[in-house]
Amino acid sequence: MKFKILIYLILILTGTVLLSDACKKGDGDRSSSGYHPTYLQLTIPAGWPLPPTNIFKDNPLTEEGFQLGRKLFYDGRLSKDGNFPCASCHQQFAAFATYDHQFSHGFDNSFSFRNAPAIFNLAWMKEMHWDGGISHIEVQPLAPITNISEMAETLGNVLKKLGIDSAYKRMFTAAFGDTAINSQRMLKALSQFMGSIQSYNSKYDQVKRGEASFTLAEQNGYNTFKAKCNACHTEPLFTDNSFRNNGLTLDPFLKDKGRMGITGDRVDSLKFKVPTLRNTALTFPYMHDGRRFSLLQVIEHYRSGIEVNQPTLDPLLKNRIAISNQEKVDLVEFLQSLTDNVLLKNTRLEQPR
Amino acid sequence: MKPSIKYFLLIYPAFLLSGGCQKSITSQTGTVRLTFRNTVKTNPMVLGTTSYTNPFGETYKITKFKYYISNVRLGLSGLPTTAIEKESYHLVDQGLPGSLSFSFEAVENSFITLSFLIGVDSTRNVSGAQTGALDPLNDMFWTWNSGYIMAKMEGTSPQSNQVGNKIEYHIGGFSGANNVLRQIGLTFPGSKFVEIRKGKTSEIIIEADFDKWWQTPADVKIADLPVCTTPGVLSKKIADNYSDMFKVTDVVNN
Repeated sequence: MKFKILIYLILILTGTVLLSDACKKGDGDRSSSGYHPTYLQLTIPAGWPLPPTNIFKDNPLTEEGFQLGRKLFYDGRLSKDGNFPCASCHQQFAAFATYDHQFSHGFDNSFSFRNAPAIFNLAWMKEMHWDGGISHIEVQPLAPITNISEMAETLGNVLKKLGIDSAYKRMFTAAFGDTAINSQRMLKALSQFMGSIQSYNSKYDQVKRGEASFTLAEQNGYNTFKAKCNACHTEPLFTDNSFRNNGLTLDPFLKDKGRMGITGDRVDSLKFKVPTLRNTALTFPYMHDGRRFSLLQVIEHYRSGIEVNQPTLDPLLKNRIAISNQEKVDLVEFLQSLTDNVLLKNTRLEQPR
Repeated sequence: MKPSIKYFLLIYPAFLLSGGCQKSITSQTGTVRLTFRNTVKTNPMVLGTTSYTNPFGETYKITKFKYYISNVRLGLSGLPTTAIEKESYHLVDQGLPGSLSFSFEAVENSFITLSFLIGVDSTRNVSGAQTGALDPLNDMFWTWNSGYIMAKMEGTSPQSNQVGNKIEYHIGGFSGANNVLRQIGLTFPGSKFVEIRKGKTSEIIIEADFDKWWQTPADVKIADLPVCTTPGVLSKKIADNYSDMFKVTDVVNN
């Protein structure tokens, strides 16, 4: 008797689930129209914190979305004259920063006014740009696309150019279920590609996983790093994503006040985002305006170059940082262990053929 | 026991089919239409050609006039029940006649207030790429300091010291001290109600007087302040001024 009731109950519940599933259609049931994306997952490396927000919450990461974003990232048509794809300033061999350029080169022989930052591990970055002006990865590409000294194009023109390319029609359909090409989809696809660029396979990471060991110099450098750099360049991301004034003199030509330009608050004067040190050996020149060309020069800045009388100087730097010559050399050894060859040679991130 | 279970099994699928797929509807709905009429003082706004004079005797022409209206709701006196528009984001653009009106479904009732935000709520400012009225293609999004321009006026004035005598007021900023979002609450003239009834459309005519941008509480003289293109003190002052620009001039219950 009880067994029969149980059977009835199971039948009822099954029926309910089936019927309620049937009700979920309506909101674009794309499965019947051949929309079968392959869902992907962001990798959360062991021992890392969870990303502060899920950047793919309203933008499910799929192979098709990633591939569309990849094509867009390398497509010069996103710029006014066709010469400046995103990848022109974010080069894979430089960990998606600009190799050896103090400022990036943009449309009509112009310089950008800050050094192009490296693009990876963006899921852990709440605000983009040196001044944190960009609130979400999806709206980040709007800045370089429309900036007259970068890609110098209008959003409307970009969409027009994409709209007449049958390859894009196919790829937008594969990624989003129909042929509509609009700014939201373009930005979400770019975000899927950019958010998938991850760096967690440097020698440092291998050491942490027990797969390799530091040389003596690297180990000494790591010890110094932990004692003197880690407060801002916090492991495992090698940045705490805060905005700080590190005591550089104001450039009289650029007059770049950093974070204050966004908040309008004087306490933010000359503050810039703490950059990650992952892949730092490749992302030279350094600082927001690329004024330091080598790691040795950067370390020397912290040892002797900090302008200590600036009112907004970070309190951690008010006495500069005492670093011996030996420590300086060892630090550079350690910093080189943060280069991630898996990232640099990842064929999935290359220009699509 | 056994027969009752069997009986239930028989009627249960029928119950699911009849009600299972419908959204729960608690009451009937009708349509409310909001129509915005942009003016300068009491004259209908004309873009490009007409010369206007502000309270400081400065003359100007208007070439663009756009603003966001979001989170629209109808209210009742002293009761928590309100009719809230879903996905309520509208860009009212004097240059696009079709943008000056929009409608939504509201539950049947006799409403006595209309409220909305001038601008886009802070959540949508930080939620990534949007579409529709919030598409950055609409030229109302700051790309260097993410966020929507809540209201925008562009034009010319002989009193402007800028190139081409341009004047530009782009008002934005959604967080902290720079927040220009202003909640507007309006009542209806002659103690009228907005009567929402099934199958009917009620129209609310709202006048937006651009002349309010110049004054009260803050004086904005073209000679001193011809341009505002960032969040901050001036944006907030102008937002305070324009928060007084709306009034309902008529309610038509059809």
